Amino acid sequence: MKNIWPVFLAVLTLAGCKDKDYIYQVNEVNILPNNADKDKEKTNEQYINIVYANLYQKALSPDKLVDLSNVIQSIGDKQVAYEIIISKMMNDPLVKLPTVQEMNADPGKFITNTYKRFFVREPTQAEKTFFLNFIKSHPNLTPEHIYFAFATSSEYYYY
Amino acid sequence: MKRRTFIKKALLATGGVITAPYIIPSGRLFATTNAPMAEHVVFVLFAGGVRQQESVLKRYLADSQKIDIEGNIMYNLLEGDAPPLKIAYGTTLPGGQKGGQPISKILSSSLQKQGTLFQELRYSKGGTGHYGGLSAGVSGHYGLTQGLRQRPLHPTIFEYARRFGGFKATDTWFVGNGISGSVPLLNHSNYDGFGSKYGGNFIAPNITFGAEKYIKGFKIYHPDDELDPIHKMQAFLNQSFQLQGGELVSLGNTEEEREKIKDFIRKTFDKLEKQQIAFPPVTDNGDNVTIGFATEVLKYFKPKITVVNIGAVDVCHGNFTSYLEALHRADHGVGHLWNVIQNQIPEMSGKTALIIMPEHGRNIAHNPITDENDWFAYDHSDSNSRRIFAQMVGPGIPSDLLVGSESNPVGDASDIVPTIADLLGFKADVMASGLIDPTARSLFDRI
Repeated sequence: MKNIWPVFLAVLTLAGCKDKDYIYQVNEVNILPNNADKDKEKTNEQYINIVYANLYQKALSPDKLVDLSNVIQSIGDKQVAYEIIISKMMNDPLVKLPTVQEMNADPGKFITNTYKRFFVREPTQAEKTFFLNFIKSHPNLTPEHIYFAFATSSEYYYY
Repeated sequence: MKRRTFIKKALLATGGVITAPYIIPSGRLFATTNAPMAEHVVFVLFAGGVRQQESVLKRYLADSQKIDIEGNIMYNLLEGDAPPLKIAYGTTLPGGQKGGQPISKILSSSLQKQGTLFQELRYSKGGTGHYGGLSAGVSGHYGLTQGLRQRPLHPTIFEYARRFGGFKATDTWFVGNGISGSVPLLNHSNYDGFGSKYGGNFIAPNITFGAEKYIKGFKIYHPDDELDPIHKMQAFLNQSFQLQGGELVSLGNTEEEREKIKDFIRKTFDKLEKQQIAFPPVTDNGDNVTIGFATEVLKYFKPKITVVNIGAVDVCHGNFTSYLEALHRADHGVGHLWNVIQNQIPEMSGKTALIIMPEHGRNIAHNPITDENDWFAYDHSDSNSRRIFAQMVGPGIPSDLLVGSESNPVGDASDIVPTIADLLGFKADVMASGLIDPTARSLFDRI
């Protein structure tokens, strides 16, 4: 019986030295910007439908959709066509715009809401910082100007 | 240095300076090509499928309705007396016969007298469809596999002009008669090395300026207080997105050019309201409204190349009387256009070449449809629809010259692109590109 102890201890020691295979359950992730998956260009109809909904907070009627799509087709430079249509909309009191006071009361919240409204995503910290500084350094800036810039930016033309 | 050696070296140096490559504004290095003959070119795609019989051949009803009355209903473009009887193409006076009053001539001397008339060209390849014809006219290439809703398969004259001539986007315009039939796609191809960044600006003014409630009175932002910060925000928003390749297809207008286009649209609405648009005296069809707005494009931008598409003549599929009316009005509109260029746009007067060519002809045999005069209508599919004409007038273009005849066709529909390139001084580049029809040549080289 005395002879068993050294063998037992040796087995125990060897078993204790064995390396464990640790498996960390983390999936591979490609790091991309928030807007990277927007790779399909909106059609004229999609664009005008969505921008109308974003600005008026209601759906565009079918006849207006046809008319506005025709206007866009009639002007070769789409950026020009979009800017004209949106600036015309901005003349309409029915467009739902935050007030300057609301924007200045909580610029961070305004920026986040604007990114969600137009780009359907949160701003990155860099984007938020840019707009916080931009609003601060441009006292005459209004929500209309910012909405106009978002609605005529490249990211907004894609989904 | 001996006198003879000095002269020899001086001549060589001068020749070297003249022929050496130079850098155009876009930065491309290219060899000098031919000397330009004109500073501006206006090309009218005339006017929806025109039969030779009622245009250049001046046979009025003789070759179409078996009524022995001949005459010229296009007297701004062509020489010849009007038909003596059965006048159905004019305006209608109160209590008068429908269409019985011909529209007064605008030009004191016809374009035939002022310039060169190629009496018989060929639309030599592919089917004689409108889009194929328009595409061949602006690209100099017959897209035999060209489909509708597809941009021209080969580069357009706008792309050649901007790439080889170094013109900016607002120097090149396509003024369309509407947005149907894929007309808005004719301002550029998607050909590698060319494409949208060299495209021409497009406008279909009947649509744009008919949409008052959607765009008239659009807001003009203050350039410094409002536009500047807006552009800065746009630039920031676009920066990261464009790194991913996302960008709106652009014609390459600069921000300044875009603002000019907006200013043009705003001012044209104002002129429309004040009835100051230079419309032709008779504007009872869409083509002459298009021509009126085209003159505004010319006045505002003074483009290097303007293509104007008119197409009311296509009513011939179902109504021959309306076809004659449209043909008479197309002549009236082009006469007005040339008159405005010469008399109301000093920057273009005497420096502009005008080219006119139908996109294709029409059939020799009528279809079964008759109109209110019991006259038969005509489609476009047989060999007669391959017969067309071309006219050109302006600086460097021989006057009162007739080229070709019914029995001796000279020229091809694909010739217009090298002809425009010849007029503006980049023909060698276009010919060397290998992208136009292999048989296409400048019409000047066919005289």
